[in-house]
Amino acid sequence: MSAAALQKKICMLGGFSVGKTSLVKRYVQSIFSENYLTTVGVKVDKKSIELSDRLVSLILWDLAGEDDIASLRMSYLRGAAGYILVADGTRPSTLEVALSLRQRVEADCGPLPFVLLLNKIDLTHQWSIGDAELKQLQDNGWRVRRSSARTGEGVEDAFRDLAIRVAG
Amino acid sequence: MEALPASVTERLRVLTHGERAVAYLQIDADLSLVAAGGRLDNYGLTTLRLGEPALEQAFFLEGLLPLVENPYFVPSVELAGGRAANLHFYLETDTLWVVLLDVTAERDATRRVQQKAYEMTLLQEKEALLNRQLEAANAALRATQRELQASQEALVRTHQRLQCELTEAALYVRSLLPAPMSHPFVAEWYFVPSTELGGDAFGYHWIDPDHFAIYLLDVCGHGVGPSLFSVAVLHLLQAASLRDVDFRHPAQVLSALNDTYQMQSNSDLYFTLWYGVYQPATRRLDFACAGHPAAVLVDLRSGDVELLKPKGLPIGLMPDVTYACETIRVPPGRYLHLLSDGAFEVQRADGSALSFSEFLKLMTHTPQEGQIELRQLYEQLVALRGTATLEDDFSIMRFAF
Repeated sequence: MSAAALQKKICMLGGFSVGKTSLVKRYVQSIFSENYLTTVGVKVDKKSIELSDRLVSLILWDLAGEDDIASLRMSYLRGAAGYILVADGTRPSTLEVALSLRQRVEADCGPLPFVLLLNKIDLTHQWSIGDAELKQLQDNGWRVRRSSARTGEGVEDAFRDLAIRVAG
Repeated sequence: MEALPASVTERLRVLTHGERAVAYLQIDADLSLVAAGGRLDNYGLTTLRLGEPALEQAFFLEGLLPLVENPYFVPSVELAGGRAANLHFYLETDTLWVVLLDVTAERDATRRVQQKAYEMTLLQEKEALLNRQLEAANAALRATQRELQASQEALVRTHQRLQCELTEAALYVRSLLPAPMSHPFVAEWYFVPSTELGGDAFGYHWIDPDHFAIYLLDVCGHGVGPSLFSVAVLHLLQAASLRDVDFRHPAQVLSALNDTYQMQSNSDLYFTLWYGVYQPATRRLDFACAGHPAAVLVDLRSGDVELLKPKGLPIGLMPDVTYACETIRVPPGRYLHLLSDGAFEVQRADGSALSFSEFLKLMTHTPQEGQIELRQLYEQLVALRGTATLEDDFSIMRFAF
């Protein structure tokens, strides 16, 4: 395979209705829809990103949101180079789900590069996750970012950050 | 598996092929696409190039090849165009087969059910969040209520303490007022402050065996400040403690007080004062007035009234004021009244004001002697006003010379 055709599989993981599909749609198509449509199974998209020395195609596997961690289909994660954990900053319970998912993935797939995205930063007045909690995760080496699929804030940077790490 | 009749097998093949939009990819060991067929268009796989890398053309295969588990199954994968497919992988010798079966209808049915379940869960989460916020708001409200109650209790305690102190202060002011006397002439008074502490003060005392000083002052305003000020002036008059002032000369006393108590240096307080000196041996009365209501000399037998009010500005308004002193001889049977403006500036219940002449009529039509008479005068005024007390301090002194 040529350098120009470098492809990396990235999985989107997180509880339901945290905005995984919206983040992919914002990143791939630069659009956002207010309508919530739940994902069943997995949706696969592709987005090429130009890094400093190469072109990388990210194959984005947008997995159905599951709060039942045990029901996560690990077959979807096979061959993933990295993943994005998504939580909803207005729903603290979704951060718990993200933490559990990360444990499950680490146990089955080993250590993979990942980014924790706290989505819906535009809903400032409903934001419910404290800075202290996030700092603790950062102190443990986690890459934590805030994003808004609605405005696009932080979305491009998060994917680029992960792309650099999986392409390296 | 039990063998199926050829007819059934054929029917199944037709059904599967028709309803599942069967498509396949054949990939060699180098991961090149060697063959493809079936309903490829259903999955957006319309531009496949045989002999070229499979992963570049069917990007959903990324990460899944080479196969590490045979056979392998990935359910419900949404591909280009929105169609969902089950992906079946299996190896035959060196050839990898990928079979795609359309499950869009099942995916959509599941989505409808799941969507409702998730929306319900989101609503429950929102309700729980609102309940928590409500509980937090209630807790904060209760805490604020407790704080408010504590503040109110502290306020009540402070108010009660201040009330006690004000009552003590009022008692002290009253203790400074002179005792009624009956010899060598009758002197009596009646005093009701509008609040616990008023700005009125008065007194009488012998300067020497021949000279009897009488005075009534009214500091502007009510409350602690004016009351303290009136007490200070009262002390000064009682102690005759103005340097180089002969307290037998009323004009001198008023001028000296005016020099001492300019309002600029006394919290903008000023006062009115009627000051007189009576000599019983000669029945001579010298008097001066600093903006105070006239003293009223009444002949109780005839009802004739004489107003004693020399001109003069209130004490403290401006410096270097000269006060006039007047002198009369008091015939026997005359009653001298000193009063504050609060004693006659009374508004009736209907809003009309009591005139001074009406007040004088009230005063002269109560001929009985004694303190009860002055109290009756006060009660009549209160009845006219239609309230429990008068608006201003009520102070009146009577001397039967």
